[in-house]
Amino acid sequence: MGSGKRQASGPPPHSPLATDLLRRLPSHQVLTTLAERRNYRYDAIQFGETPLAVVLPETTADVVAAVQAARAAGVPVVGRGAASGLSGGAAPLEPGLVISFTRMTGLRIDPARREARAQAGVVTLAVSEAARPHGLIYPPDPASFRTSTIGGNLAENAGGPMCFKYGVTGDYVRALQVVDAAGEVHELTRDAYDLAGLFIGSEGTLGLMTEATLRLVPPPRVTRTLMAHFPEVGACAEAVSQAIAAGAVPSKLEFMDRACTNAVEDYLSLGLPRGAEAVLLVDTDGDDLPTVEEERALVEAACVAAGGTVRRAGTDAEAAALWQARRSVSPALGRIRPQRMNEDIAVPRSALPEVVREIRALGDASAFTVVQFGHIGDGNLHPNILFDPRHDDPHAVHDLAHRIALVALRHGGVLSGEHGIGTMKRDFMRDAVDPVTLGALWSVKGALDPAGLLNPGKVLPEEVKG
Amino acid sequence: MNNEIRGAVPGGQGEVMAHAVDACVHCGFCLPACPTYALLGDEMDSPRGRIVLMKEVLEGALPLADAAPHLDRCLGCQGCVTACPSGVPYGELITAFRGWSEPQRARSPLDRAKRSAILKILPAPKVFSVAARVGQYTKPLAPLLPAALRAPLDLLPETVPAMQPSPAVTPARGVQRGRVAFLVGCAQQALTPNFNAATLRVLARNGIEVVVPEGQGCCGAAALHTGARDEALTLVRRNLATFHPGDYDAILSNAAGCGAGLKEYPMVLRGEHDEARASAFAAKVMDISEYLHRLLQAGELEPPLPASRPITVAYHDACHLAHAQGVRAAPRALLRFIPGVTVQEVPEGDLCCGSAGTYNLEQPELASQLGARKAKNILSTAPDLIASGNIGCHTQIQSHVRRAGSRAPVMHTVEVLDRAYRGEL
Repeated sequence: MGSGKRQASGPPPHSPLATDLLRRLPSHQVLTTLAERRNYRYDAIQFGETPLAVVLPETTADVVAAVQAARAAGVPVVGRGAASGLSGGAAPLEPGLVISFTRMTGLRIDPARREARAQAGVVTLAVSEAARPHGLIYPPDPASFRTSTIGGNLAENAGGPMCFKYGVTGDYVRALQVVDAAGEVHELTRDAYDLAGLFIGSEGTLGLMTEATLRLVPPPRVTRTLMAHFPEVGACAEAVSQAIAAGAVPSKLEFMDRACTNAVEDYLSLGLPRGAEAVLLVDTDGDDLPTVEEERALVEAACVAAGGTVRRAGTDAEAAALWQARRSVSPALGRIRPQRMNEDIAVPRSALPEVVREIRALGDASAFTVVQFGHIGDGNLHPNILFDPRHDDPHAVHDLAHRIALVALRHGGVLSGEHGIGTMKRDFMRDAVDPVTLGALWSVKGALDPAGLLNPGKVLPEEVKG
Repeated sequence: MNNEIRGAVPGGQGEVMAHAVDACVHCGFCLPACPTYALLGDEMDSPRGRIVLMKEVLEGALPLADAAPHLDRCLGCQGCVTACPSGVPYGELITAFRGWSEPQRARSPLDRAKRSAILKILPAPKVFSVAARVGQYTKPLAPLLPAALRAPLDLLPETVPAMQPSPAVTPARGVQRGRVAFLVGCAQQALTPNFNAATLRVLARNGIEVVVPEGQGCCGAAALHTGARDEALTLVRRNLATFHPGDYDAILSNAAGCGAGLKEYPMVLRGEHDEARASAFAAKVMDISEYLHRLLQAGELEPPLPASRPITVAYHDACHLAHAQGVRAAPRALLRFIPGVTVQEVPEGDLCCGSAGTYNLEQPELASQLGARKAKNILSTAPDLIASGNIGCHTQIQSHVRRAGSRAPVMHTVEVLDRAYRGEL
């Protein structure tokens, strides 16, 4: 984490990069003062280095001009949406150029093709809001969907509660417009080589995504919500496995442990069961009410069999409140400790009960508070280590995070379900990916970004380079 | 967010600011709630960005002059406080920061004179009334004036009514149920005397004796929120000496900004000898709508006469009522209590109307953009009447809905109730 004072004497406002940018772009798009630049060095998890300049483009041509200026100056380029990411992806590790997409908010809905064409800075929720009058929605719904941008979602391949049944961001992309490291514009579809797929989840290390054509779907006619709570964390995971094995395909299956429930209850006062060790939130949906209710009954039976207590949401408002609770978990954890190390593992569903219990045991044996929540239907868990940077040893935090990551890998899981690798989990990549494959990833990076100027220091661990 | 503020600014206000900065996890959930971020789309003009700026200035990593333009653009609407899952007391942070930083600001003599004039005129109803009348006659010249002088003229209503001083005691009608102290407010006495008249009538009608303690003055919010901490402290201490909380069931305000200001007294005096007195005082402060709502819930509020025809009321949440005081349900419940009234929610209801204390005078361009956006949102509900609970919002909304071509009356919530009682709705 960058200390407050280290960057106090930044370069003068008109560095060669800034001067060049001001020649290529209108002045209101180029930020050069220290106050402006220092506000583009962080995301929701990490503080990085103060950029030399910041560009707020309005068109793809502006992005091209910015990339060309950075290239001429030989400085790195970091793309940034709303900076609500949780892996350090948008926090620059070296002084360079930050391109913030928040003013690229152009959005067109094509109801006949069931498509949205969105510029990178469009807020995720805005896509569904614009599509709804046409009887369509955009299903990917990360917890930050009121804040986060489509560009950021694409860079991290964001998921959300809906991903169990409906999939993640990448599943809704038909085409992408990308500006590469040389400042060339590419229109990528998913035909032939799926180059769009290569860029999705690449965290700004291969190119800058400027526009996307997104697939829209009609919303389900009916949705039913239930909440169940359990006296033990593993029992919640067992209930989920049983419900799915019995044939239920809920649209959302979310869980939060006791500490999460209490942090949210402190914020929203919804009457959540403070004493329960685990709370499960489930939506079943579809166009046929009997089927939707039958699915809910399957989930309910599995919960009761695992020792849970079930409550059905009586009204839409009650269901909405429960979902707001789940969406608020991550930031509400700040009420417990000022900082956290955020994991984003995904494991096979069959291993869930064991993984949840093992992580719980690791947390209990450590000096830290470890909380768990996540999209349990996909086996996507977010164990968070809460700590106070004023008192706690960062190495001990990192070490515990590493051991949690190893639990996931040991059970056949992966390091990231939706938040990306960023800097937070970059070092664990050596455990997750074999050296030959890592070499292949570096080759791809080298082919698309030979000078290594696109979001350096993210995703790929240095040591295996070459 | 870890910080070293406590060392840099020792004492109560340093603690207030350090605590707020500690609590921020920079998640960005505040971004969509911020009016200036909505307009400008950059991080420095967002709550998260401003928290970082304030932290860095306090820690000495950033010159105040660099951060100031962005901090000045904050309306203090506290929309971010409602949106924040981590519980960051942003309002306390920006208020304390402005108090700390203002003495260090390099301002031009003209700027200083303007600020000082605003802070002298606003809290003095008689002076304000005269100024408003002068302003009214100057209005035709407005297009010729620079923006800074044009802004206040644009906001003046078409007519400035005669002052109606509130009596020292308004007795309860019928059986007396309660006794309250009332803060009469400053600018609204001159611009909208009917707010207070309606408040007194409605309370008296419901068996509440209303005392207007002599010697009371401005709540201090305008001074506090513009960083004039010494002036604010004088006003705060004057009110603390005037209102004796033990003598009343409640201390009422009918202006959201003033009510929020009164509730801030303990924060203002954090770590000082009269902090406990401020806490006792603030514990008794209520908005008029909160107090009437309690009567309603107890079944003690007299039912109003039905409206003469079905009326759609667009209710506007004043930021200092909804975000700063958390009062949302009470005014809506009071309006719905009137037979024939339907309450309409306004799209983007959580977004500030752009008024916010002296913002109109200091940031006229942004204020005007927000005002136009609010008017458009309100008028999209096709209201017969517009209600809110704050004089600042009232003048801003009235001016912008008129500009948008609507003649829908704009009233205080309690005025609507008062009219219903009198069969004039």
